Amino acid sequence: MRYEFRWEVLWSGQSGAWLLQGLLTTLAISSLAWLLAAGLGILSGALRTVPWKPLRAVATFYVEFFRNVPLLVWMFFWYFGVPPLLPQVAREWLFDHGAEFWAGMFALGVYHGARMSEVIRSGIQSIPKTQFEAAVAMGLTTFQAYRLVIVPIALRLIVPPATSESLNLLKNSSVALTISVAELTFQTRQIETYTARAIEALTAGTVVYLALCVGIATIMARVERRFAIPGLIARGG
Amino acid sequence: MRRVLTVLSTLGLALSVAAPALAQQSTLEKINQTGVLTIGTRTASPPFAFVDKQNEWVGFSIDLVEQAVKPVIERKLGKPIRVEKKESTPPTRIPLLTSNAVDLIAGTMTDTRARRESVDFSLTFFVTGAQFLVKRNSPIKGIDSIAGKRVAAQQGSTNAKIIRERMPTARLQEFPDQPAAFQALAQGQVDAYTNDGIQLYGLRAKAPKPGDWKVVGDFFSYEPYGMAMRKNDSDFRHVVNVGLMEAIESGKYFELYDKWFGPKGETPYPLTPENKRFLIMQVVPK
Repeated sequence: MRYEFRWEVLWSGQSGAWLLQGLLTTLAISSLAWLLAAGLGILSGALRTVPWKPLRAVATFYVEFFRNVPLLVWMFFWYFGVPPLLPQVAREWLFDHGAEFWAGMFALGVYHGARMSEVIRSGIQSIPKTQFEAAVAMGLTTFQAYRLVIVPIALRLIVPPATSESLNLLKNSSVALTISVAELTFQTRQIETYTARAIEALTAGTVVYLALCVGIATIMARVERRFAIPGLIARGG
Repeated sequence: MRRVLTVLSTLGLALSVAAPALAQQSTLEKINQTGVLTIGTRTASPPFAFVDKQNEWVGFSIDLVEQAVKPVIERKLGKPIRVEKKESTPPTRIPLLTSNAVDLIAGTMTDTRARRESVDFSLTFFVTGAQFLVKRNSPIKGIDSIAGKRVAAQQGSTNAKIIRERMPTARLQEFPDQPAAFQALAQGQVDAYTNDGIQLYGLRAKAPKPGDWKVVGDFFSYEPYGMAMRKNDSDFRHVVNVGLMEAIESGKYFELYDKWFGPKGETPYPLTPENKRFLIMQVVPK
């Protein structure tokens, strides 16, 4: 009754094509969601530190609301909850043009934007207050000080935790299979359906995720070295 | 949350099976030692296996195990045993079996030749075929009218596979479980939901307004349900089969059928004379 491995199911039939398709979908949904998350994260991360309370309150609300509800719930919210709020025409159009993909993208992007926001806020708060004061003293407005001084420095400080967060985003994209997005994990299950070889299929998926994440981490390690601020960050390894 | 847990547990299983040293114990020995028969079944596939309004995990497949299979195992081992139920979904059920986490899959699993390469099946205990669930006023009439339409299916089911082969222009969207697929149909994300006919009737019966839905189309697949178990354990398989045969012979099977599919059952679905004949002919002489 031992499990007999039959790895050939991974390169016979359509398995390879499915994995590739899944990989492309995972990359597409993750990179779009990442752009959204980065935008929302920088914006709300910065807003949480500005010297004006109402803006801080809005940003805090966004962060606490979106990061404290499970991602799965957000998937269902964007896929099942949002469309009924749209006008009939928009809804029909969306259903016809991959509603599940866009819902998944928003769920991932908005959820991770809230988490990214905290990473960026911690970066900003690690910058001495005198930096901001110096920028303002030179005649920059608060907005200019953030855009030209504070945020660029913060972004260079937070590369390691932002990398972790980005990898989380990539892996969390698998939750989108619950709303029928045919991403990588979905495709590994597809192979299982056709071949009844679950362990081989899951292993293939695991290896692809691992390769993808290690690849991204390696690139980000280079980015980190390239953009490290001399004198501010101790260089490791 | 269950879905996420399913994914996690599957991965966990993959790792645990990758580790060597699996016990080479037969299923009957395992049951004898632990006093427990662990079955993998469904939580949302009425009337085969589902959690009912009283929050109890019940169904036709579960009854068959408890009232037909269990007594025969007890007789064989000469001692009482307990039946323990675990959630199993199409993507997890085979790994659950091969990793010894469950001993028998009793839910809504179709016996196929591809699956028989990984697991063994009991006798066929139910026969159905794939159809479509659509809104009452839908123009969809069967597999020939789904070209270009958005069709939901349950991932890991045989139906999605057949649609992909026979009607590649249909836009298939696969959901991990029935409630999500039905929700997508109710809201219009998809135009039809395909699954085994009996499950669609079950879903319709449980819907808030059954009259809003109809099941359409001829069977476009043949779905004989069997109970699955680990490969090459013919002693256990024989015991399970004897349980099912005795139930068919004694009429117990038909009593249970009536309980779940009769006019007053969870999902009224009359037993056709052909199917009855087919069931009886599977019973080999004593």
